[in-house]
Amino acid sequence: MRGFIKTLFGDARNFCTAAICVGGAALVLHTPAAVAAGVVLPVGLLIGAAYLARH
Amino acid sequence: MIGAVVATFLTASVEWVEAYTILLAVALSIGWRRAAGAGLCALGALAVLTGVGTLGLAHLGNLVVLQFVVGFFLVLFGVRWLGKAIARRAGLKKLHDEAAEFAALRERADIFDARVAWAIAFNGVLLEGLEVWLIVVALGVQTHHTLAAAGAALAAAVLVLATGFLVRGPLAKVPENTIKFTVGCGILAFGTFWVLEALGYRWPFGEFSILVLFGFNVTGGLAVAQAYKTRLA
Repeated sequence: MRGFIKTLFGDARNFCTAAICVGGAALVLHTPAAVAAGVVLPVGLLIGAAYLARH
Repeated sequence: MIGAVVATFLTASVEWVEAYTILLAVALSIGWRRAAGAGLCALGALAVLTGVGTLGLAHLGNLVVLQFVVGFFLVLFGVRWLGKAIARRAGLKKLHDEAAEFAALRERADIFDARVAWAIAFNGVLLEGLEVWLIVVALGVQTHHTLAAAGAALAAAVLVLATGFLVRGPLAKVPENTIKFTVGCGILAFGTFWVLEALGYRWPFGEFSILVLFGFNVTGGLAVAQAYKTRLA
């Protein structure tokens, strides 16, 4: 069961990284610079992957 | 559809190679018949999970919610695989070694106990297969090609088994990290595209943006790995 949950959601660090990136992009979508969301999410996720690589 | 099938095939290949190492170690202790039985039981459980997962997602009703849920799971999965692949490429983490994995399993004292060995094989195939299941269900439901995705996963299993039969040992020469890096970039591209689209974003090049995102992830991932490598040196 633990393996199942970890496969779906990853560990806390993995989940928070993805949630922060998606949440940040959703916020940008509700600003006048909404078009920048298409850059914010991929760049945020790349930074997230770099962070996960170190931890 | 082609992107989903290729991504599923590559993900499944990597996971089945790891599962095959476990099956091989167990088979040398309790015989191929019992080990294969455990593996088939695990595959059966995965097939049931695929059916349940597909039906569950299909019954969400709201296509936007479905797209967001699938996209978010792919983002979670993709960022994890890309992070691990960057760490291995940069030398921050050891490369996965099938031969060492096999040797460690063979040294386990309980591997000669038939019941324990059967459970090791079943759990091993099930756990490695869960990531395949996630990709089959997520990509399959979203692209309406679950059967094609499941077929790609099965084809990968057949290929790994056939290669294993020919090699008669752990498949240590598979470029696992390169495949994981490529799949991580691809899955992350699909996830990024679907999550933002579900939130109301209109991608400038439509579905071709997935290719642009894939290119960005590959270039960025390689640059990050190189930067870490230079800092370590």
